[in-house]
Amino acid sequence: MQEGRILTATEVNRDLLRSILDTPRWFWPVVMALGLVVLAAAIVIGVMINRGLGITNLNRPVVWGFFITNFVFWIGISHAGVMLSAILRLAKAEWRRPATRAAEVLTIFSLMTAMTMPIIHTGRPWRIMYWAFPYDFARGIWPNIRTPLIWDPSAILTYLTSSSLFVLIALIPDFAVLRDRTTGISHQVYSMLSLGWQGNPRQWKLQIISGVLLSALILPVFVSVHSIVSWDFGMAMAVKSWHSTIFAPYFVVGAVHSGVSAVAFVLILLRKAYGWQAYIRHEHIDALGRLLVVVATGWFYFFSMEVIFGIYGREADEIAVRSLQFTQWPVSAWTMVFVITTYFIPVSIWLSRYCRRNLWIMSFACISVNIGMWLERFLIIVPGLANRQVFTFSWNMYSPSIPEIIIISATFALVAMLMLLFSRAVPLVPLYDIKEGDILKTEIQVGRRAVPAVYRED
Amino acid sequence: MVTNRLDHTWGMVVDLDRCTGCQACVVACQAENNLAINEKSAFLEKRALEWIRIERYWEGEYPNVKARFIPIMCQHCSNAPCEPVCPVFATYRNDGGLNVQVYNRCIGARYCINNCPYQVRFFNFWHPTWPASFENYLNPDVTVRTRGITEKCTFCVQRLRRGELEVERRAGGRLNDQNMAERNYMPACVQACPTNALTFGDHLDPDSKIRPYFDDVHAHDIHHEKERTTRSYLLLEELATAPNVIYLKKVEPYPIGENEHNG
Amino acid sequence: MAEHSNGRSPAGMWVFPQADQITAQVMERTTRRCKPHTIALVVAALLAALGVVGFLLRVAADGLDNYNAWGYYMAAFSFVFMVTSGAPLATAAFRFTKSHWRRPLSRVAELFAVVGVLNVLLFIPMIIVLPSIENPAFVPGMEGEMAARRSIWLGSSGLTGGPPELWDILGLVALAVTSMAILWLSLMPDLAQSRDSVSGFRRSIYGFLAGSWHGTKRQWIQHKAGMMLLGGFYFMMVVFVHFLIVSDFAMSLIPGWKDSILPPLYTIIAFQNALGLLLVILFILRKWGGYQEYIGISLFWSASKILLGLTLLWTYHLFAFFITFWYGRLEVEESILRYLMFESYAPVFWANVIFSFFVPFFILLWNPVRKTAWGPALAGLSALVGGFLFSIRIFVGSFNAVDFKEFPGELYSLGLTRARIQDAVIPDLWDIFMVVGIIGAAALVYLAAAKLFPIMSIWEVKEGAMYQRMGKLFRGEYMILAKPE
Repeated sequence: MQEGRILTATEVNRDLLRSILDTPRWFWPVVMALGLVVLAAAIVIGVMINRGLGITNLNRPVVWGFFITNFVFWIGISHAGVMLSAILRLAKAEWRRPATRAAEVLTIFSLMTAMTMPIIHTGRPWRIMYWAFPYDFARGIWPNIRTPLIWDPSAILTYLTSSSLFVLIALIPDFAVLRDRTTGISHQVYSMLSLGWQGNPRQWKLQIISGVLLSALILPVFVSVHSIVSWDFGMAMAVKSWHSTIFAPYFVVGAVHSGVSAVAFVLILLRKAYGWQAYIRHEHIDALGRLLVVVATGWFYFFSMEVIFGIYGREADEIAVRSLQFTQWPVSAWTMVFVITTYFIPVSIWLSRYCRRNLWIMSFACISVNIGMWLERFLIIVPGLANRQVFTFSWNMYSPSIPEIIIISATFALVAMLMLLFSRAVPLVPLYDIKEGDILKTEIQVGRRAVPAVYRED
Repeated sequence: MVTNRLDHTWGMVVDLDRCTGCQACVVACQAENNLAINEKSAFLEKRALEWIRIERYWEGEYPNVKARFIPIMCQHCSNAPCEPVCPVFATYRNDGGLNVQVYNRCIGARYCINNCPYQVRFFNFWHPTWPASFENYLNPDVTVRTRGITEKCTFCVQRLRRGELEVERRAGGRLNDQNMAERNYMPACVQACPTNALTFGDHLDPDSKIRPYFDDVHAHDIHHEKERTTRSYLLLEELATAPNVIYLKKVEPYPIGENEHNG
Repeated sequence: MAEHSNGRSPAGMWVFPQADQITAQVMERTTRRCKPHTIALVVAALLAALGVVGFLLRVAADGLDNYNAWGYYMAAFSFVFMVTSGAPLATAAFRFTKSHWRRPLSRVAELFAVVGVLNVLLFIPMIIVLPSIENPAFVPGMEGEMAARRSIWLGSSGLTGGPPELWDILGLVALAVTSMAILWLSLMPDLAQSRDSVSGFRRSIYGFLAGSWHGTKRQWIQHKAGMMLLGGFYFMMVVFVHFLIVSDFAMSLIPGWKDSILPPLYTIIAFQNALGLLLVILFILRKWGGYQEYIGISLFWSASKILLGLTLLWTYHLFAFFITFWYGRLEVEESILRYLMFESYAPVFWANVIFSFFVPFFILLWNPVRKTAWGPALAGLSALVGGFLFSIRIFVGSFNAVDFKEFPGELYSLGLTRARIQDAVIPDLWDIFMVVGIIGAAALVYLAAAKLFPIMSIWEVKEGAMYQRMGKLFRGEYMILAKPE
């Protein structure tokens, strides 16, 4: 479907650069408020480093709690970028066009935020640089590459590097537009970033080829990142409910689910905040909703497999965890909430065309998914540790402390703040993608109707 | 080999028939290894550091209730699951068959704590503190760990090292059950146990007291458990961690429900 | 005018059959006598007969209660089942994603519904052969429900009050019914339109099946809605039945094998194989079936990317399985890895990986090869060989992991231990007969259906002809694709 009229390049430039060239009145107050939350968390982290992890509610056996849940959550959110920009580009879906830049930018900032979590949750973060960094600074001992905890930084940094490259290269034509409309230091920075872009056919050809190549190359990274993060849990044999072969694809599909929902929500916010109703249209949110039905159902399949085969073995230690998750209050209540908010509420909403096109209802569905997915990670990690093994004498539950809650909230604030600040320098809806989409639009006569159509290359 | 140390493979046998749950081993370990004193708050927060802990389980219904005790310390597994998961090689198996923890290398990632099925690894959530005069009691042979570090039972490696120094390098002999018992090179828990429920030794040594039990377990693995001739069993044997601590089953003279006049 | 697509430029990749010629051309090709097809039909019939012989002799030799002897039958059945149940999915999935190049592929895929009916028949011996869930030897010291071997049904009476075999066959029946419904619905417009141009038995069948189809707008809207709903339902049923089959007939037969990724692994290789088979058939139709005006290179180009994706996805799932089992160093998991991958079935495993991953990957990696018809078809053929080897490894392996008769009754993990890994089972003559018989029977049924019904989806190709034109944009010629939704 194609709604909305075809816009001229002038209109596109003026509208989408509005976030850079003008400043809305709400901008600095919102950024300040978010900054305060981040500052509060920074102070809490300082206290934590000074006094020790005792200020959290981590205990024995639950030594991984909110921080690791949050880590996995943000890595999950970061999967939206590749899904929307790379996979949909390769699938030649036209409706991806306004969503790609926001998704990629969300990826980068959520990855950066995710990476802070494992650093602050260790007992001695200042030693990590020496010993987890891949160089034998001390006594010829390299990091232990056998452990998933070392696979993690390799994968995440690779993903971060390739996503950043992807964004920067995709931004070159847009930086050139900005270069031509700014003066002073901005002009010099944009000139440098646009790498001498003139917009001639040869440069466009290279641009398109590099976009397709990077899309294809980033796909293995995208799959491997969350698989490796899931293997932080999957490789552990002492926590029986974690030792399941399905963790890798399960987490990846879950990541796409939460990530794409988050991007849909961000797009709805951006549309409102910057007045981009002509660019982020109902059809895009509708298409995202339909994609999400498929992804959510795939996620539900993998989730069912994990639960069914967890119980399948009827091993005492695994049944102990499952009974905690499904039958013991209050964890059972959280499990119920998680399944409903991750799957049943959103998918019921997304199956209805009216609801997909109603932005308030879509926002509600997308937030519901992310609440559910956050709970999912919590319910995998904490009950697994709480009822670990058959030594019931050592069982214990966990609930978060105020410092942990402050730090977790601050990660949300950090991502929002970084995205807002970034929108001051970079257009969050890609200009040339929109213009390209408009060029490829046409109409044909089918019988008595003029049907919207598109030029295709394959 | 880096040194020309003699080969040992240290192991322990825990006789559950003799254990009374008196916790002398726990106190001895705390004193020997400079553990922080566990106040009530530490237990309520489930952060108590107990390198050897007595797990107590209740069996039966009132009035025929029995308490069952099992002391659990680091099993020094030959196939330790805690070792491959440490990002900085802070834990590894040394040539004495001990699973050692390198405190100054540990960054506190705590994956090893998660991957230990026996839950014998402990994390320092706080700086350890002692009342002022208690610091005089600290054992100079043992590091005082700061916060953010994981620690666990070491089979009192400081005593074993001292034993190797005195008996093997200086005197040219070999550590065995007798000279270890005489000069307190056994772990503190073994030394303190009033009922001799804990037995320590080198199961490479054919004359050690623990050797018959290790032979029995090695000859009859989990699939042939019924053919074992002693009361030996390993904890969580099906996980194939190959622990070096053998437990001896308790012999129950008055099984619950069988004798009505049992008090 | 119709064009051949043999160039690399975009314009050379599409075909534009003429809307008014389609019915006549397709029906002519369906009804005419085709020598190669007849020969193939006869060969398939002979193979099927061989299969019956093999089956009867196997029953006479080993009976139906010793499941160890039936591994190869199950492997062949599973292979045929997974490929032919996955095929109608291709239609449903590509229709859902509105992939414009799917149109020639639809009917080719939907016709596999008739093989679905054959699958139900082939499955019946396996229901009889499967050992009962309740077997105290598997978990000694337990009583009642826990004395059963591990299964998704959690006990002999199951969660649901019926034996597992009942639910499995019901699942297969549901699949057959749903896919036949999809086929019927898809055939209705075509049969109604070509009813008058055929004669004899075809005419009466077409008349019966076409019902009261008049091609009104309302009927078309209902038709589309029905296809979408049935397709979605079929998708979910297929995934569910794959899960049932592989859990009951593979995983629960190796004691201690707890593997949550096996059903997805099986489903993905099923999809890969189904798409591969469809590409092989389309290649044959294009090259020798006279359908070159209908099947353009753009179909192969797009489908090959999906085949490449499925290949990589399968390999990724296989690796996830391997690394989780390998890392924990648990005895049961080490034994299973040694049994199914590195010792007993190592040759089959490595051949499986080569044919399911390496060959298709290195063929489909190259864009020029993706833009031919033979490239994806060859990759598809290799994927089929790999899928067959996968079925052998998993099902023959499972059926022979435990010698059921001499099972002494120790711990549940006694089936495979460090000390005792069973050897691979070499197929004997009856096994080979049964394998070729099952594949031959499936081919026979499909070939017969392909002659009975038009193998090109006439209405879908016509719809495509309505929506696709060539157009000029700047200096190039491209296809214009209408997006009516």
